[in-house]
Amino acid sequence: MAEKSVYEHLKSEGVSRREFLKACGVLVGAMGMNKLPPVADSNLPPHLARGAKVIYQVAEALENKPRVPVIWLEFQDCAGCSEALTRSQSPTLVDLVLKQISIEYHETLTAAAGHQTEANKQAIMEQYRGQYLLVVEGSIPLGADGAYCTVGGRSAEDILREAADGAAAIIATGNCAAFGGLPMANPNPTDAKGVMDILTDKTVVNIPGCPAIPEATTGTIAHFLVFGTLPELDDLNRPKTFYGVTVHDRCLRRPFYEAGKFAKSFDDEGAKKGWCLYKLGCKGPTTYNACASIKWDGGTSFPIQSGHPCLGCSEPGFWDGGGFYQGQSAPLQRPAIGAVGAATAVGVVVGAGMAAANKAQKKG
Amino acid sequence: MDWNAFLAFTRGPLFYASLLIFIAGMVYRLVQVAMLGWDKDQSVARGSKAGGVVKSFLKGILILPFIPWIKGAFQKRPIMYIAGGLFHLGLFTVIFLGTPHMLVWKSLLGFGWPTLALPFVDWLAVAAIIGMLVLIVYRRTDAVLRLLSGPAEYLNWLFVFLPMISGYIMTHHLFFRYEVAYSLHMLSVDWMLIWIPFSRISHFMFYFFSRTIRGVEWGKRAVTP
Ligand code: HEM
Ligand code: SF4
Repeated sequence: MAEKSVYEHLKSEGVSRREFLKACGVLVGAMGMNKLPPVADSNLPPHLARGAKVIYQVAEALENKPRVPVIWLEFQDCAGCSEALTRSQSPTLVDLVLKQISIEYHETLTAAAGHQTEANKQAIMEQYRGQYLLVVEGSIPLGADGAYCTVGGRSAEDILREAADGAAAIIATGNCAAFGGLPMANPNPTDAKGVMDILTDKTVVNIPGCPAIPEATTGTIAHFLVFGTLPELDDLNRPKTFYGVTVHDRCLRRPFYEAGKFAKSFDDEGAKKGWCLYKLGCKGPTTYNACASIKWDGGTSFPIQSGHPCLGCSEPGFWDGGGFYQGQSAPLQRPAIGAVGAATAVGVVVGAGMAAANKAQKKG
Repeated sequence: MDWNAFLAFTRGPLFYASLLIFIAGMVYRLVQVAMLGWDKDQSVARGSKAGGVVKSFLKGILILPFIPWIKGAFQKRPIMYIAGGLFHLGLFTVIFLGTPHMLVWKSLLGFGWPTLALPFVDWLAVAAIIGMLVLIVYRRTDAVLRLLSGPAEYLNWLFVFLPMISGYIMTHHLFFRYEVAYSLHMLSVDWMLIWIPFSRISHFMFYFFSRTIRGVEWGKRAVTP
């Protein structure tokens, strides 16, 4: 890997200075960094000074910093996060970051295979010890001594711990890597875990989603590239910029929610008119993610916009959170007739017993 | 703290347990009352017992809420009458005609029904909450009521007030994150379910019994031994 700066690299790819600055602007927006405090020594009004300054700060960083090597590990995953990222339709941001990072190891994307790739990974981890970025996709099975998922004869846990050891930062992309995702769903046959439950002594940035929103992944990587630090995280280690508000907070159907206008089936009048999907099981109110603002496919749409309720895929345990099409307020379990019968029987027995005891007492 | 996980607990296992305790508790109360026995009817009825029951319920459903002055229920304690009425009206609207609550019934009973627009339900929720506040102030200021009130009365008030106020807070996204407010709402609902059978709030069930029995007695128009 050549130690070219990001800007030099982009220049050689035919990106003009103007395009470069524009892309920096996009990055700034994506990272939510226009909220930095205004700069004192500027003559511009504060709101201008703020934005402009950050763009140049970003540009400067990208002009001078070397590209960052990335090790991308896949465990119990479907490669959906990688797919989403590489097929993302928002060219500037994702392109910029993808060009800036050099992905050194990625099972789905690498052309090479077998021991050659593994040897290359080892070499990179040696050479860039303490500098590379580790991205993990998929959950880690601990059951059967890790036999459920092995690469090159080694268990996922083993590979993860080794790679984490020399990483400058660790990002878990997708719900599986962040919180265990689908593999961890009840009854969790492989005893799957998310990365942060294994690397308990390290900070793992979670970019959950199924898949993760590409811009959230790249925005977080961009933050690391530019500042060398991780963005501010919430209590589930998700970057606040992307996971700060709920889908419901930014939802385009929200006015219908407030007005009590709900679609009751997927093809009724309400559905056609774009009413709220709460009754069809929408989990937007408890789901923290940027789907409603960043959207998908370069801002084209997102599930709720296209008529499907939010599944809550950026929250822990969403597979076990009740039916996807069952209202958010519906209880998670419905008592079986047997349980109700048993409760009734207990009531009858205790009630009758007490009454009999009272009567006996009165007589006695 | 992972509030979504806590929410799953309060909506899941805890709610499940509370509901079963509620059912067992109500049945227990019912059986106890039923076992008190029904005195043998030794007098000849001079009127229709069934008619009495119908009248009794009509009085409860029509006269008391809509034309209370006939019985003087309004004149005696107007504040209590209005505040109590608003509370019950708001409560029923919220738990039967609010969309999220109808979905609870639907999942438990297997069928649903149309609901009212959120703003409408919301206003009635406010009415119920104000009604409750007025009632508690009244209870503290009225000398007689104050003497009659023990800890149980205040706890009853509190355990109904908590679900009301937390539901309102949740709907309006006040103070807490949504899942935090939701967890608190569920926690208070779960606790209320456990509390009801062993408190006077269980009147909602015995109300129907007492109305029926009184109706029978009125309708009979005979000397009750
Ligand atoms: C299993 C039982 C219950 C569940 C799952 C539940 C759930 C909910 C939900 C999801 C909301 C709406 C939040 C929103 O619109 O974003 C709500 C609102 C509310 N709930 Fe409940 N609730 C339950 C029982 C109760 C009970 C028993 C009471 C009253 C004693 C109550 C009082 C309220 C009130 C007052 C509101 C606010 C309504 C408004 O301002 O429009 N809830 N509840
Ligand atoms: S569709 Fe979902 S996220 Fe949108 S307003 Fe309705 S409940 Fe909220």
